[in-house]
Amino acid sequence: MSYAYLFKYIIIGDTGVGKSCLLLQFTDKRFQPVHDLTIGVEFGARMITIDGKQIKLQIWDTAGQEAFRSITRSYYRGAAGALLVYDITRRETFNHLTTWLEDARQHSNSNMVIMLIGNKSDLDSRREVKKEEGEAFAREHGLVFMETSARTAANVEEAFINTAKEIYEKIQEGVFDINNEANGIKIGQQHSPTNPSLPGAGNQGGSTSSGCC
Amino acid sequence: MRQKSGGASFVCVQLLQTLNILFENIRNETSLYYLLSNNHVNSIIVHKFDFSDEDVMGYYILFLKTLSLKLNTHTIHFFYNEHTNDFPLYTEAIKFFNHPESMVRIAVRTISLNVYKVQNPSMLQFIRDKTAAPYFSNLVWFIGKHILELDTCVRTDVDHQSQSRLSNLVAEHLDHLHYLNDILCLDIVDLNAVLTEHLLHKLFVPLYIFSLTPAPPLSMAVVTQNLAAVLNKVVNIDMQEMSNPRVSAVVALYLLSLVFLVITHGPLVHSLAWVILNADHSVFKEGAAEVLNAYIERREVVALGFEQPRESLEEALDTVVGSSSSSLENRSMGGESSSGSSSRDTSQSRSVTEQVEKVNITDEEKEKLRQMEDTSLSGGVDTNRPFLDMVLASLDCTENDYIALLALCLLYALANNKGVSPEWLEQVLSKPAKSSTRYNTVLVERLLHIISLTSQPSCRIRLITLEITLSLLSRFARTSSGDFILTELQQSVLFSARNQAMTILRNFYKSEDIFLDLFENEFTEMSKSPLNVEFLCMDSAILLPPTGTPLTGINFTRRLPCGEVEKARRAIRVFSLLRKICQEYLSEEEVLLPLTNPSNCVQVDNILDLNNSDLIACTVVTKDVTKYRRFLVIDTLQLILVEPDPKRLGWGISKFVGFLQDVEVVGDKDDSRCLHITVHRGGVSNNRTPILSAKFLFDDHIRCMAAKQRLTKGRSKARQKKMYQIAQLLEIPGQMIEPPIYPISGVRTASTSRLPREHRPLFSTANRVPGFAAALRRESMPSGSVSRVQMAPNRSIVGIRNENTQRRRRSSNTSSTSSSNGSSTTRERSPAHRSPRRQESPRNNSPRSRDNSPRVPRPRSEEIPLEDFQHSRNSSPIARGSPSSNTPSRSHTPSRVLCDPISISPRLTSGTSDMNSLAPNGVSVMIAKEAAMNSEETSFIAREEKEKRRGGVETV
Ligand SMILES: Nc1nc2c(ncn2[C@@H]2O[C@H](COP(=O)(O)OP(=O)(O)O)[C@@H](O)[C@H]2O)c(=O)[nH]1
Ligand SMILES: [Mg+2]
Repeated sequence: MSYAYLFKYIIIGDTGVGKSCLLLQFTDKRFQPVHDLTIGVEFGARMITIDGKQIKLQIWDTAGQEAFRSITRSYYRGAAGALLVYDITRRETFNHLTTWLEDARQHSNSNMVIMLIGNKSDLDSRREVKKEEGEAFAREHGLVFMETSARTAANVEEAFINTAKEIYEKIQEGVFDINNEANGIKIGQQHSPTNPSLPGAGNQGGSTSSGCC
Repeated sequence: MRQKSGGASFVCVQLLQTLNILFENIRNETSLYYLLSNNHVNSIIVHKFDFSDEDVMGYYILFLKTLSLKLNTHTIHFFYNEHTNDFPLYTEAIKFFNHPESMVRIAVRTISLNVYKVQNPSMLQFIRDKTAAPYFSNLVWFIGKHILELDTCVRTDVDHQSQSRLSNLVAEHLDHLHYLNDILCLDIVDLNAVLTEHLLHKLFVPLYIFSLTPAPPLSMAVVTQNLAAVLNKVVNIDMQEMSNPRVSAVVALYLLSLVFLVITHGPLVHSLAWVILNADHSVFKEGAAEVLNAYIERREVVALGFEQPRESLEEALDTVVGSSSSSLENRSMGGESSSGSSSRDTSQSRSVTEQVEKVNITDEEKEKLRQMEDTSLSGGVDTNRPFLDMVLASLDCTENDYIALLALCLLYALANNKGVSPEWLEQVLSKPAKSSTRYNTVLVERLLHIISLTSQPSCRIRLITLEITLSLLSRFARTSSGDFILTELQQSVLFSARNQAMTILRNFYKSEDIFLDLFENEFTEMSKSPLNVEFLCMDSAILLPPTGTPLTGINFTRRLPCGEVEKARRAIRVFSLLRKICQEYLSEEEVLLPLTNPSNCVQVDNILDLNNSDLIACTVVTKDVTKYRRFLVIDTLQLILVEPDPKRLGWGISKFVGFLQDVEVVGDKDDSRCLHITVHRGGVSNNRTPILSAKFLFDDHIRCMAAKQRLTKGRSKARQKKMYQIAQLLEIPGQMIEPPIYPISGVRTASTSRLPREHRPLFSTANRVPGFAAALRRESMPSGSVSRVQMAPNRSIVGIRNENTQRRRRSSNTSSTSSSNGSSTTRERSPAHRSPRRQESPRNNSPRSRDNSPRVPRPRSEEIPLEDFQHSRNSSPIARGSPSSNTPSRSHTPSRVLCDPISISPRLTSGTSDMNSLAPNGVSVMIAKEAAMNSEETSFIAREEKEKRRGGVETV
């Protein structure tokens, strides 16, 4: 499980827009067909290949952590990419995008790549937000835009991978400081592909404290 | 192989993911209880997963987070076992408080806060007795180590090379502080007591405060000690204190500022403020014990010193958890011992209000303060407040303002923190009236010195430094009733600084367009962004030595100016700031700024009385080839496009307004009836797209030329008028009409340098008689009559709209010559109809004297026609169309131009890329624009002559 780079993503948006489903569809290629429930998937990782390089995408859903100021201000930082999701069948989730974006812009690294996602494109009959509106919003705020369906998997791969490609390009251009893990990018240990789990795993806390952040 | 390692982690991941889904989806309390009741969840929590696998770690910690979100007073019992003293959800989670992955740390903070939030006394007691000391001591140590890293970064990065690293370190530190503040804000008295003690005695005092004063010469101490050892003698040198790690003074001041900006917990900020303001070096032995005693009844005395906890958190928790012996805790915390006598119950039942009351000064403190006051007053040089002395000494800006800015931030943060008793701060730093304290005098004098230095040419003080200085001056140089208290000498320092700043700014005053644009830009920018020290302190750039280059990306006010344009901008700001404080000092109202009073401007959808106004009919063709039939009105400052009001004859509704000063007119070489008019977006804006760019088609060539002439002239007059206003503001000799009077050296005297009036006033506002304006117009604007197109009183408005161009031209010509102005003018002269603009320059009440002073050194502003042009606000009680747009309470940061949705404004597209390159581009654009205008004007003058002659022929 070695990788050239690890990109950290966060996935944000109102509850019920399908963040967990998108995550699950991307990492496990499955869809949980439960109705009106929020799927408790808040973390996921998957390997992809860009430009012949193995890149690990690690996705963190920050749901439920908004209650405290100290928390909101910190989770945007430290991510290289963000998926900002709304539900095309619920206009209010689209209306809240500005708030999410303001928060993200205020606290994030300025290089963070933000992908706007209109999810549930399979429910076209119940659509409340036109695709053009999503496109316009994205254009206005300099985001990449895509409509996806976590149910049919349409565009899900593309959403995650295109974001990664953009981050990768920024790295090639030298915009991202990859030596600073606070930017949400880690360089993998290419030369020790085996031995993923080190001995003495019990001692996670204190001993590794130096050099964090 | 894969089976073994990969497989195991795969199973773990699946298990954790499934559990997460399960718990996330439980809505039904009963099923939740069922799932939790058999303690399986707790055994999963304590299971030693392979946490070196980042995926396992991620799933695990988010599983704990999901569980913590389910905590309430009922479910807490499934996680916290009172009898076995077991709370794995919490104790396992906090072991990861310093995990290298930031998302894990964030989750840990969320979990801990979710736990503290649950109002369960026995659980909180467990947290306090068994985990608080180890957790907080390790947390504080972790924060402290992080600070040392930050300090190293500051020391090694004088060239602003690793700014992103530094800003990340600062942001991370702010995360810590906000986390601490979130805990403290939960108001759990016992928990806060432990946390406060640890923060003060393990971090703030031994690391921050300690770093404020110069390091004792360590080498000397070592030598002495070695010598003593050789001689077998005992010397009293505290090697511990000697080897205490320290950070640079800049960093220490900065960190203290952050504490006071973020944390509001009374006992903590109050004690820390006490130490800074009153304590001496003995605080390194005693800590803030005395002050703390006043707040915390059952204190856990924490030995002073910035040092690593004896045990890691994990070790400590392993020993604590499950055992009920409290002696373990003391062992684990090394030098700490329990003291205090009051029982748990009383300390717990203490209400918040009681606690707040304690913030007030105790008698003991008062006594101590008084004593200190006496000694410091009599003692002269040697004071016993080394920290306060250091902060005040740092305000010296003779070389640069690097450290001074941070000291100012600290004073500002201290003065504005809700937890620090203001009364008490007053005791030390500001005592009103006659017997002001020594410290107050020192402070005020230092502030004045900064102000005085800032007003010098080419000084090395940043604008932000001046802003905070002024804000502090108006805080500390006032009595409690709000009056300024300055000695005559101090007052003269303040006013001569203002005058000096004015002299500098005069050097930049030129009749070039760019100066006016700069001036207005700076003014709007300043009013848009008032001082915000909290924002300022999020900017790690202030930790590094001041720089002048914009290439660092540092905000203009936070660095030194670079180049002539920035020097001009700075001069404008320094003058504006000093002007403002002087006005505050004199309790004067600002009457000259802003140059344009937005309430005197026409807004879109205003209904205007256009009887007797000069109107030029035209067709506006926008880029997307939409055509609008409009009447062009040129007011003193504005270009207005109106549509006839269908409800009232002779009235019109404004559909577009733009400032004449931002207008650019270009003729069309192929069509002599056509003008290309661009109205630029004035002011500093990332948006460089004009608010209007359209082709204007006029009825004939003459009207077209008239419009062009009046727009060009209007533009330069609008600009002249404003330049004149600035000249007045700067009291430029030869431009003054009546300079404001400022006291010099404490005596309020009228400036003797005042020159006799040699200028024709801008406006003749008084002495007007009916018909005067019309007569005036004929006299001053010979070409105006050509273009004067009036709405025919006898035609229906609908008719106007539907007419074709040919007919319109004919009929409007007739109407313009046949209409009489008399009756309507009389009506408008009634006082109720006077628009506020009429009173714009009350001093200029001498009658028009155009012909008496034929030669004037500067270009003059003449009265522009449209005398009788009024707002509906003033002439009609009910504003039809859009009532809201007529309300006088408009936003204080007016958008320069309001534009109605259906009219011509192109949709603004925000280009993110031009944000950084704005300054240089903007400048070159402006210069280019100006050049274009100049040439335009040259050609215009020649044409004007021609036009004059022709116009004369036509009208007469
Ligand atoms: N039809 C359809 N339903 C979806 C889609 N994505 C999510 N859902 C449903 O939307 C609900 C909320 O999804 P969830 O991922 O938990 O939202 P979250 O709160 O943003 O994490 C669930 O009932 C899902 O089944 C999709 O693409 N199409
Ligand atoms: Mg979810």
